[in-house]
Order: sequence, then C-alpha cells, then structure tokens
Amino acid sequence: MNMDDATPSSSPATRSTPIWRRPVSRRVVLASGAAGAGAAALAVLWKGTDLSQILNRVRDLTHAYPGALSDPRVRAAHLLRRAGFGATAADVDRLAAMTSTMMTQSVLDYQKTSNATLEGKLPTLDLTSAKGPNAGAVQAWWLQRMVQTARPLEEKMTLFWHGLLTSGLDKSGAGQMYVQNALFRKMALANFDDLLKAVSKDPAMMVYLDTENNRKGKPNENYARELMELFTTGIGHYTEDDVRESARAFTGWTLKGGTQLRYTMQSVFNARYFDSGQKAFMGKTGNFTGDDIVEMLVPLRATAERLSTHLFTFFAYQNPEPEIVRHLADTFQQSHYNVGAVVREIFSMDAFYSAKAYRALVKSPAELTAQTLRATGADAKGFVASANAMAPMGQVLFYPPNVAGWPGGTSWINSSTLLNRINFANAAAQRAAGSSPARTVDQLTATLLDGNVTSTTRDGLHAFATAHPDDQAGLLFMAMATPEYQLN
Amino acid sequence: MFSRRDFMKQGLLPVFAGSAVPTIFANGVAAAAADSPQATPNGRILVLVQLAGGNDGLNTLIPFQDGAYHDARPTLRQDTGVLTLNNQLGLHPNLKGLKASWDAGQLAIVQGVGYPHPNLSHFASMSIWETASVQGGIGDGWLGRYLNYLDQVGESPNHALEGVSAGSLVPPELRSKTPVTALQSLQTFRLQPVNEHGTQVDVENPVMKFYGAFKTAGPAPFGALLDTTLQEALQASNALRTTDASYQAKATYPARSPIASSLKLVAETIVSGLGVRVAHVTLGGFDNHSKEKPVHDKLLLDLDQALAAFMQDLAGHGYGDKVLVMTWSEFGRRVKENGSAGTDHGTAAPMFLLGAPVKGGLYGQQPSLSALDNGNLKFTTDFRSVYASVLQGYLNAPASELLGGNYEILPLLKA
Repeated sequence: MNMDDATPSSSPATRSTPIWRRPVSRRVVLASGAAGAGAAALAVLWKGTDLSQILNRVRDLTHAYPGALSDPRVRAAHLLRRAGFGATAADVDRLAAMTSTMMTQSVLDYQKTSNATLEGKLPTLDLTSAKGPNAGAVQAWWLQRMVQTARPLEEKMTLFWHGLLTSGLDKSGAGQMYVQNALFRKMALANFDDLLKAVSKDPAMMVYLDTENNRKGKPNENYARELMELFTTGIGHYTEDDVRESARAFTGWTLKGGTQLRYTMQSVFNARYFDSGQKAFMGKTGNFTGDDIVEMLVPLRATAERLSTHLFTFFAYQNPEPEIVRHLADTFQQSHYNVGAVVREIFSMDAFYSAKAYRALVKSPAELTAQTLRATGADAKGFVASANAMAPMGQVLFYPPNVAGWPGGTSWINSSTLLNRINFANAAAQRAAGSSPARTVDQLTATLLDGNVTSTTRDGLHAFATAHPDDQAGLLFMAMATPEYQLN
Repeated sequence: MFSRRDFMKQGLLPVFAGSAVPTIFANGVAAAAADSPQATPNGRILVLVQLAGGNDGLNTLIPFQDGAYHDARPTLRQDTGVLTLNNQLGLHPNLKGLKASWDAGQLAIVQGVGYPHPNLSHFASMSIWETASVQGGIGDGWLGRYLNYLDQVGESPNHALEGVSAGSLVPPELRSKTPVTALQSLQTFRLQPVNEHGTQVDVENPVMKFYGAFKTAGPAPFGALLDTTLQEALQASNALRTTDASYQAKATYPARSPIASSLKLVAETIVSGLGVRVAHVTLGGFDNHSKEKPVHDKLLLDLDQALAAFMQDLAGHGYGDKVLVMTWSEFGRRVKENGSAGTDHGTAAPMFLLGAPVKGGLYGQQPSLSALDNGNLKFTTDFRSVYASVLQGYLNAPASELLGGNYEILPLLKA
C-alpha cells in the first residue's frame, strides 16, 4: 500500500451530523435517566471500578463514516498504538478480524485478561529496606510492564495519570512513586472523584506538593493550588482566596513514621493537625475537608471539559472540536465522573478513526521506547539501559519536568531529541541483532508501519536490503528511523 | 535554499509543493567559517539562566537590616554571613562568586522586578516572562523575536546554533521562526552510523530522503516538522563535528552539578565559534514550599559556583567581554514564611546581570516589606524594562518593536 491510497479520504461528514455520528442520540441517553432527577440513581450504578457498566454501553459508532480509516489492519494497529504500546503482527491480526465494537471491548475489558505471565517475568523490587527500591530499578520495572503487559490500556492509562496527577523523584521517594503507580493502575478507569480523593492522600503526592506539611494554623498552599490549576478546573475558575481557604481544608493528613518522609509509604489522618474552622470556598462556607473540596471541584463543568480535553488529546488528536469536548464532558457528568466511560466514548467515535487522527500524535519517548522494545525484544539489562536512554529523548519516567507534566505534542521533537530517538532505535536494533520481527521489507513495514510508507521510504528500504543482505539489524533500524515511525 | 525559515514564517501551516530539496551539507562548514564572532556586527551573546519554580528573592538579595524581614522569616532568615553590598542589602552567604563579580563592577542587580496584576501560577507567570506579554500564550518567545529580527536584518548564521538550550527541550523564550537547538552533549549530537559486522555504514543520506518525502506526504504539521528538524539537526551536527574536538575548559566546573554541566556545554558551544547568539540554561528546584533553607542554600551554592566557572572559562577563551548572563524566575516567594519552614508563591524578586558588559551596581528600588499586597511584595521595576535595556543597550535591537511597547531603559550596560 502506498501513502496515497492508504490515506483516508478526507471528505467531511455532513454538517448536520455530529462528528462521531452517534447512532444513539443524546436525547435517548437523557431519557434513560442520565440527567436531572435520575442522575443520583445512576451515580450509584457507576460507583466502583466495575467495568461492566462501561462495556455494556460500547456501541459501533464508526461504520460507513466517509473519512474513517478503512483497512481493518490499519484500524486495529491504530487502536493498539493509541490504547497501548504498539502490537505484534498476531495482535493486529486478532483485532482486525473483529467488529469495531468488539475491538473497543477487547481493549477496555482488560480485567478479564490475566497478567500472570508479565508478573512472573518482572524483577522483584525491594520495598522493605529503609530507603526503598533503587529509582532506576523502578523505572526499568515500569518500562518492562509497558512492553510485556497483556493489558495495554491499563498501562497506558497509568502513564496518562502520571502525566496529569504528577509527582516526581525530585521530591518523592522511589518507593512512594511505585505505590502511586500501583494506585494509578488500580484506578486507571475509575470515577475521577474517587481517584482524586485517593491521590490527595497518596504519599508521593503528599511529599511532592507538600500536603504532608500542611497543618492547622500553618497552611501550605501548594497542593490546593495545583489541584485546581492543573488537576481539575484549570486557571480562571477560582480565586487566590479559594486557594488559601481550600489549603486549610486539606490539613490533617500526615505521613506515618520516620523523619525521612520520602521513604514513608503510609498516610494517616491526625485530627490534631486538621483545621476544623469554617472555610469559605467558591461561594460556600463550612467546615470543609479535602474530600469536600474534591466533591465541589469534580462536578464543575470546567473540570469535565478539561479532563475530557486531556483524554481526547492523549488518545486521538490535539485541539478537539468543541462538540467533541461537549459530548465527552456530558458523558463524564452523566456517568458520575467515570473515566472509563469517557475513554469508551473516545474509542467509539468516528473521529478517533478519522484521517485527522491518523498519525496525528508524536510518539512520546515512553511510547517510542516501549514500542521499539516490543519489536526488538529486551532482557533485564535492556530495560535498564532503555529506561536511561529516555532522558535524552525528553522523558524520564517518574520524573516529570515540573508539576504540569510533560508538555508533549510537537515539543517532543527538536533537533536533539530527534537524533536521540533515531539513535535509540539503532542501538535497540543492534542489541536485538538476529531477532528482528520480520525478514523482508514488506513484513517489516506491515508490522511496524501499517504497510503505509511513502514510495521513497519503501524504495530506500529495498535498496538497503539489497546492498546489505545479511544485515537484519540494520534493516530493522532503517524501518524505525523513518518519519512514519515517529508518529503514533 | 534552506527553507525552514520560510516555512516557519507561514506559521507551520502550509507546505510548499515543489520546493527544492535543500542541500544542507555544503554550507555547514562554510557557515562555520563565516560566523566567527569577530565576523558579525556585534558578536554579542546573551545567556539566560532560568531559576525555575520561583526563587526566594528575599533570601537571595537580603534586606538584613529590615526588622520586617526578621519578623516574617523566623526560621528562614539569614542571620549570619550575609555578603553585604551596602548598609541595607547583602547577598546570600553562598553567593561568593557573585560577590566577587560585584566587587569587580561586573554584577548589576535590578531590585523588585515583577509586573502588574501578578499571576501566582508557575505556568501562567512563566509564560508571561517567556513571551514578555501579560497574556502569555504560545506565540514566539521574547528572545525568539530577537532571533527573528536578526534573520530579517541578515545577521543569522545559516544553521540552528544561533539559539541554543542545554537540555532536551527548546524553552519558550527561544520559540521563533528560525531554528534553535536543544543540546545535551556535543559528542552525541549526531546520527550514529549502522554498525555492520564492525563496519560503519553511513545512513544520513537515505534517512534524509525518507524525511524529505514525508514532508509533504505526511500529515500537517508533523511531516514538515520532522523533515525540517532533521535537516537542522544534521546541519548543526555536521558543523559542530568540525570544531568540538578542540575545546578545553579553562576553568574547573563543579562535579555532579547539572547547572555546571549545562553552562559548560553552553561555553563549549560558544567557544566552537559557530555563532551562538542566545543560550538558555535552567536550574530547577526553587519551589520551596517546605523546609526551604537547606534546599535553597544548596541551589544558590550550585548556581554561584557554576557561574563562576563559566565566566572564568569564557574569559580564558577570549569571550569575556562578549557574553552577558541574566537570571530570571517566574516569581519570588511570599514575604512571610509558611508553617512548614517554606514559602508559598509570591511576586517581585531581583534579577542579576553578570559579565564585563554590565555597569555594576543596584538598580530600581527595593520593595517595602510592610506595604504589601495580600502578603506579597509590590513590584517596583517591570521585567520588560530589563528586557528592553538588554535588547537596546546590549544587543542593539529595536526593543519597543520586539516587546510591543515602550519600557524604561535602565543604564545597566556599558555602551
């Protein structure tokens, strides 16, 4: 397949039809009790992390969309890149044989898939010693999870939360980051208010944004400010007074034991440190706790739109249309803030499989590294080396540049990072010499590049294969040095 | 010929069908020769040092005689060892190198720098400083606009090393319509060949062709971004390869200090003679909401030692009078320390300008510690006034045009 014939037709859907061409109208959803008086009842339904509520509502929203990707293997590979970290030829074949509904379900319904094989391969981290595990070991451990997991979306959502609800090794301990990572994995698709309440008491977060030091009479504003600015509403929806008052509400939670707080893995509530006075927050007054503040922030429309935008940008493309954000924000609010429901809607949208979405994200260094190791294989040393190799590409796991996480998008690409990305593929291919996932140019491009490259690239790969017939590693590298491979 | 500038001027949107495939190898070495600092009209270099996270200005330039300072900082105040500049103000005890520069008349300090209606968000305030616009946003950075200007008047070297940042990201100050380079090491800044049974196979040409074809075939803006970025990278790396072997540091940089490594890399790039005009390094970790003192003390020590080595290194290579260093931070800290021996986000703080080009001394006014705005200092000098002074007084650039307004020019710099 050449670039030209694989690029989906770009004729737009008719104006009167929403971008995602929903066969179930919003009116039907509303009539089923998802709004107004029925919302409370539905909220109960959505509580917890049971995925069945999400899966029951997966619909095929993508058939007959004029701009959509048409080749089943390209659609499957696209979904597996976005919902996970790339795929083997067998994975692509398996999903390509499914309907879109089944594909979405198979990705979302990961709790049914055992991860025992991965767990058996992972190194044991030393969580009992005073200073916890070595940071490099935890980084390699997570990278190995990304590469070898049988539940790609679980790991991808964990990466999403790490980039949004940031903590980092510059302040928090490696053991704490490991514990936080497990929390993100466990609550990957949970209700957002539940997740934020848990994160507010998470040791890594408490150290990173100083809630541990936030005590009655001695408020520390760090967490309260970032909770609003970065985690929920975004700037412009709160005042400096809201920051100061809500900081008081987050008092009382402390870390248990030890003076070395970055090595402490357990948080406890201590009433002595809690400011039980009245707090005036966003027009309401009361003896609010941190949980109360979360419960006031999460229902706000600004939170729904901001998180929806983050999720869509992470999975589909940047700058989503207002009607897409509106639809996702509605879903969020009608599902009692269920993240899985929003992710389900994203994967069900025609927009997700549209020309606009195809290769419209730059692979993050985590995605590039994990996908490359999936293609080349890696041993324990390889995971450690590869986790280290991510730094010059611009992303160190558990070490975001600041509390806003990685800026992502086109900022992943500059002259330095691009050379490092290509050189990393070179080193990985050398390390894997002899274990290339495919032997011919066509097999390689089919596995790694959707079989969809420019004729110049195809000719160049053939020329290399002809000139260097014994150099499998070199050919594998050349396929990963392509511009197509830089995009997701 | 080299179309990144033309392309970027169109705002990253259109892609020019039929534009010639650039031949980038021919001009790398030629550009290197033509861009020695002596060959350019002024050859002046500005190095920005970003103190990320919000530096505690009151514990950097310390009003040690002010009772209000002592009252507001029961655990954080510096009681001893302040390096006095006059009978009111002194430098933090760990800023010994900067004090030596002060004594030599090579340190200018602008007091109480900020802007109206201060924003206490790290990211909103950084964006304001980076774009020199109180709206912030994603437009070109203020130094990026300077690079655009150099390009307009034909003073740009023909490769991406005129704007250099140490690290893996291009900072927003340098966002521009001309190429800039993020650097981590000059030695690894190259496309590695394929190692085929011990024989090195050069792959630059075929890989460049892949990217060239994808420029128009790939999705916008990524196809063009990838192609132009690879061209810039190879052009800059080929130019560097002719020079990087010759650099020997003329100072001992502190070990295990990221800011020292960054400044050393900048010195190496400057000394390569390829025409660096602006450089950016970052020292992070200043967001000290709790247990500030040991962290902040160490940061200032690292900063001071790294800067001292950097200035000595540049002077040893004959660049002493061609380089101006300027520090900035998105805001200072709250006057009163909080309950966890730290400080929350604040407003105004001092800026340091360092090097032979400056006229040493204190500029502007130290803000009052008693007449506060919601617990925060009221700024006395607009940061854009400092930018304007540097653009006009040092870089000989049209400050009003580049900053979109007229700001007072401070006599910080020698003519």
